[in-house]
Amino acid sequence: MTIADSIALILLLAGCAFYLAGTIGLLRFPDVYCRLHALAKADNTGLCLICVGLAILSADWQVAAILALVWLVGLLAATVSAHLIARHAHSAGRVPARSGPSRR
Amino acid sequence: MIGLALDLLIIVSLIGLAIQSINAASLFRGILHFVVLGLAMSLAWARLDAPDLAMAEAAIGAGVTGALMMIAYRRLIEIQPDQESSLRPPPSRLAVPIALAAGALVGVIGLAAIQAEPMPALAGTAVLENLGSTGLGNPITGVLLLFRGFDTLLEITVLLAALLSAQAVTRQVDLDQSLTTQDPDTPLVGALLAIVVPLTVLVSVHLLKAGGQETGGAFQAGAVLAACGVLLVLTGRLGASRQYSPLVNTGLLVGLLSFILIGLAPLLWGQPLLALPGLWAIYWIESAMMISIALTLVLLFAGAGSLKRRDHG
Amino acid sequence: MIDIALPAIVLFLIINLIAGMLRVYRGPTLADRMLAALLFSTTTVAALLVLAEWMQLPSLRNVALLIVMLASILSLAFVGLPAGREEAADEQ
Repeated sequence: MTIADSIALILLLAGCAFYLAGTIGLLRFPDVYCRLHALAKADNTGLCLICVGLAILSADWQVAAILALVWLVGLLAATVSAHLIARHAHSAGRVPARSGPSRR
Repeated sequence: MIGLALDLLIIVSLIGLAIQSINAASLFRGILHFVVLGLAMSLAWARLDAPDLAMAEAAIGAGVTGALMMIAYRRLIEIQPDQESSLRPPPSRLAVPIALAAGALVGVIGLAAIQAEPMPALAGTAVLENLGSTGLGNPITGVLLLFRGFDTLLEITVLLAALLSAQAVTRQVDLDQSLTTQDPDTPLVGALLAIVVPLTVLVSVHLLKAGGQETGGAFQAGAVLAACGVLLVLTGRLGASRQYSPLVNTGLLVGLLSFILIGLAPLLWGQPLLALPGLWAIYWIESAMMISIALTLVLLFAGAGSLKRRDHG
Repeated sequence: MIDIALPAIVLFLIINLIAGMLRVYRGPTLADRMLAALLFSTTTVAALLVLAEWMQLPSLRNVALLIVMLASILSLAFVGLPAGREEAADEQ
């Protein structure tokens, strides 16, 4: 296993950790806004790390360009989707949870 | 070993999602399960070495059916505002026996397929042997247009027939208002369109061109283009229209007509039917089919006979 | 090593996805359930990208690109649902 491979592996595992964090946030956070916050950021960081790891692994500029495009479009989609869902929740009269251990 | 675990996990989640999507506690959950089922399905096709199907599944599932069901759900709520529970049909007593019988049938066929001797000459090997002489690199495009061209011709006819029958049963309600899902000036939506719409057009043309040599082709490209149209309808940039539009009707028919005309032409100089005269014919038919498929899907989604552009600011 | 790690990562991502399904059941609002769908598309994209590297199928990257490109369509359709009466629509 070369050095590049081990760096890629570390990045991939770090990406998985961010995905795990996103899922835990989705399951444990108290209200819809917090959950959005957890998902939209953690998952896209995870996607970024996985893309970088895979780009190093493939060692090919063309592949790296596609991966970068996937990540950028993913960011855009997540931003817009999160915004739209939050807007819908807000217009439905959801009040953001205050601090306190009110979990469901 | 770990590959096997992965495949088993995909199989189990596919079955679970399929059961949930018809049996969920509410229609909305059923829709979400169906969308996720589509994503899991594209993973399954990927594992089965069938990127063409994974791509078609992703484009249709993510781009058209999810949105279609969401819109249908909304219409149902609008029609019966206070009786959501009645939206779900009562469970049928036949469901379990039929599911068991179907499962047994699939199991028997699967076992028989595993035990059967591999045939010495499969159609697939014949295709791969003859592909070299056609100039195509993608065996799937070769099968669709050269070796089984008649099937594809009928498929594109079926698509047109589906659109005509859908239009025959569509009620003349004002679709303009009800399909647009939010006020068109919602922040970020314009930015999304400005990036995603050109990108979808670019990707679909790329898929069309790449279809000759690698994964892609008219169906995938058409589905992506249709998803772009759905996006424009949902954001209120394109609206349903009842006016006759020669451009839309030409687009609907161009795929079928070019296939038929180019397919009939070889008869003039004594060649068999549908013996396509060369690579240019394949690309021409594929492009025409892409336009027709995309337009048909968008019109099916909009439930209208025609489309018109709507300007916002 | 890498050949074992890549499928293990896909496996992990799919388990993640299944865990996220819990949010579809628990709700409580439609927006919560919709969020889970957002998680699924990002996770599937990552899984497809890793699969593309592991199985040496470059076209899977195009599939991943399609999914991220079209992911926002479902959210756009979702916001059309009438706000404010979602509990009534989903609690049964």
